[in-house]
Amino acid sequence: MSTSTGTPVWRLVAERELRTKLRDKTFLAGIAFSLVLLVVALVVSSFVGGGSDDYDVAVTDQGSSQVVEQAQTALRATGSTDDTVASRSFDDVSAAEAAVRDGDVDAALLPAGDGYEVVGNDEVDSSLRTALATAVSKSALASNAAEAGVEVSALQQGTGLEQRLLDPEADQSGALQGVAFGFVIIFFVTALGFGMSIAQSVVQEKESRVVEILAAAVPIRAMLWGKIAGNTALALGQVVLLVAVAMVGLNLTGQGGLVASVGPAVGWYVALFVLGFVALASLWSVAGAMAGSQQDLQSTTLPAQMILLIPYMVSIFASDKVSEIMSMLPIVSTMTMPGRIAQGGVPLWQIGVAVLTTVVAAIVFVRIGTRLYERTLLQTGRKIGYREAFHMTDTAG
Amino acid sequence: MLSVTSLTRRFGDRTAVDAVTFDVRPGRLTGFVGANGAGKTTTMRMIVGVLGPTSGDVLWHGSPLTREQRRSFGYMPEERGLYPKMTVLDQLVFFARLHGFSAPDADRRAHELLERLGLSERTGDVLETLSLGNQQRVQIAAALVHRPMALVLDEPFSGLDPIAVDSMVGLLREEVTAEVPVLFSSHQLDLVERLCDDVVILSEGRVVTAGDADALRREGPVRYRIRLAEGDCGWLRELDGIRVLDAEGSTALVELDDLAPADLLTAVHAKHAVTEFAPVVRPLSEIYKESIA
Repeated sequence: MSTSTGTPVWRLVAERELRTKLRDKTFLAGIAFSLVLLVVALVVSSFVGGGSDDYDVAVTDQGSSQVVEQAQTALRATGSTDDTVASRSFDDVSAAEAAVRDGDVDAALLPAGDGYEVVGNDEVDSSLRTALATAVSKSALASNAAEAGVEVSALQQGTGLEQRLLDPEADQSGALQGVAFGFVIIFFVTALGFGMSIAQSVVQEKESRVVEILAAAVPIRAMLWGKIAGNTALALGQVVLLVAVAMVGLNLTGQGGLVASVGPAVGWYVALFVLGFVALASLWSVAGAMAGSQQDLQSTTLPAQMILLIPYMVSIFASDKVSEIMSMLPIVSTMTMPGRIAQGGVPLWQIGVAVLTTVVAAIVFVRIGTRLYERTLLQTGRKIGYREAFHMTDTAG
Repeated sequence: MLSVTSLTRRFGDRTAVDAVTFDVRPGRLTGFVGANGAGKTTTMRMIVGVLGPTSGDVLWHGSPLTREQRRSFGYMPEERGLYPKMTVLDQLVFFARLHGFSAPDADRRAHELLERLGLSERTGDVLETLSLGNQQRVQIAAALVHRPMALVLDEPFSGLDPIAVDSMVGLLREEVTAEVPVLFSSHQLDLVERLCDDVVILSEGRVVTAGDADALRREGPVRYRIRLAEGDCGWLRELDGIRVLDAEGSTALVELDDLAPADLLTAVHAKHAVTEFAPVVRPLSEIYKESIA
C-alpha cells in the first residue's frame, strides 16, 4: 500500500486524523471534561464508601487520652486496618466542645458521671463510637478488676470474639461493581464518540468533495485503514489517560487496595478495547461513506449504535449464565469481561474465547467494511441504504 | 502519450460515454469541449480511475495504465474540494506526501508552488478563509504539487477572472514539461481556442472531432477576406470558381472552390486597388457548431 519512496498512505491518513483531532478545541475540551468528571467521581467515592478514616478526638484529661489510645487498638481489631484515632488535648470542656462544633475534631471524649460521654456535633461516626465504647469498657474493666483484686484475664475469660473472614475481599464488591460499570461507561462513551467522529470525518470528505482527489491519488482501502488506525490510536490514548488518572486517583484517595485487585482486569480491558474498537470502526466508516450529508449520519450510524448498545443491555438483564456467555462475544466482551475479571473467578479460557471472537469479528467487519466503503464512498450527494450498498457493484477502479 | 480507446460508460440504460477514442499528446494542451452532459466529466473520471469504465481502456504509451502510473496523475475535479479547515500549506504537503513525496520534499515543493501563485503570505491560513479565487489557485496547486506525469483538469478556469486565468495558464505552461500530456475541459470556446494545441469535441457521449487545432481550422474550403480601396464588391458574385459568402460595400468574404488565391488576387486587382487580401481561419466555435450539428 505504500508508494515507492514515501510513507505508507494509511499512516499519512492516520497522522492527518490525529493532527486534526488534537487541534480541535471541542475534542480537547471533551477530554478535559471527562477528566474532571472522573476526578469528581473519585473524590466522591472516597467520601462515600471505603477508604481510610482518620479520627481526631478531643480530650481534657490523661484518662480519656489513654482510652483514645486503646480505641486505636479496638478499631484495628474490627478490620479497619487503615483507620487511625488520635487524641488532642484541650484545656477544658468548653474548649473541647468548641473544637467539636467547629469540626476541628470528629468527637470529644469527656469524663461524665462514673464513666465517659462521647460528644459529637450532629452525629458520632459509628465505627468511632464502637471503638471508643470497647476501649472505655476495657479500661473500666481493668480498673474495676484492680479494685476487686481480680485478674482482668480471669474476668475476660470466655468473652473473646474473634473475626475470621472467608472472603476478605468481599467488602470491595461494591467498589468492584463501580469499576466494572466504569469499564462499560468508558468504552461506551469512547466508542460512540470516536465512532461518530470517524463517520463525520468520512462524510466531511464527501461533502467537501476532497474525496474525489483522494480517490484518484490513493487506494480507497488505504484511506479507510488510515482512518481506523488514527481514530483507534486516539481512542486508546484517551482510555489509557482516563484509566491512568483513575488508578493514580484511587491510590491518592487511599483506595490502593482496589487498584491492586483490578490491575489485571485493566490490562485485559485495554487489549479488548482496541480489538472491539477496531471491529466497530469499519462500520462507522461505512456509515460515513453511505451518508450524503451530516444529517444522514443519524440513520446510517444506527447499526453501529445498536451493535454497541443492544448486546450490553441484554447481558445486564439476562440471567447470570447468559451474561457469562455474552461476555465472550465480540464488542460486548469489551464492556463486560473486564468487569468480570475484576470481580475474580473468570477461567482463562473464557478470556481467550473473548479475545478470539473479537479478533475474528474485527477481521470480518473490516473486510466487509472495506468493500462497502469502496462501493459507496464516491457516491456523493445522496444517502445510500445498507441494502443498496450490499447489492452495488464496485464502481471505482 | 495518454490514449483513450473505445471508452464506454453506461448508467443503467443510459450511455453517458460511448466508445470514446482520442489521444492526449505530451507537452501539449488538449482542450476537451462539449455541451453540458456531453460526457466530459464522466470520461475524465474514468481516466483518473475514480469511475470504472463499462468497457474500453485508458492507455499510457500504448499499454494499459497501471495503478501506480495513474496515481502519479494530477487531477482537478469539476466539483472543487479540499479540506476546508486545514491550512493551505498542510493541505499541499499532505497531497504531495500521499503521492510519495518525503516530508521535507513535500514542504519545499508546497512552498515553491505557493510562492509562484502569490500565496506565500497565506500558507498558514485555513483554506476556507481564502477568497474563492485563491481557493481555486490552491486547488490547481494540489493537482500540480507532486509533479504529475499527466494532468486532467475538469473546467480548471471556470469562475476565474481573465487576469487569474492568464496567471493560471502561465503557471501551467511553466509547470508542464514536454513529457506531460494535459487534458482540460472547458465550455469557454474562446479560451480553448487561445490556449489549446489540440481539440477533442464531444457530443452526446461521442467524439465528433479530434485533432490539431490549427489543422482543424485550416480544414475545409479556403476563405479569403477582400477589402477594396474604393468601390463595390458586388461584381465578385459573377466571378467563376469562388462563392461570395458575404459582401457589403467594399469588403467581401469569399470561399475559393477551384480558383487559386493568386489568380483571384490578379482578377480583383485588375479592376480595383486592393487594401486587404487575407486568408480567414475558421474560428473554433464554427468547427464546434458544425461538428455537433
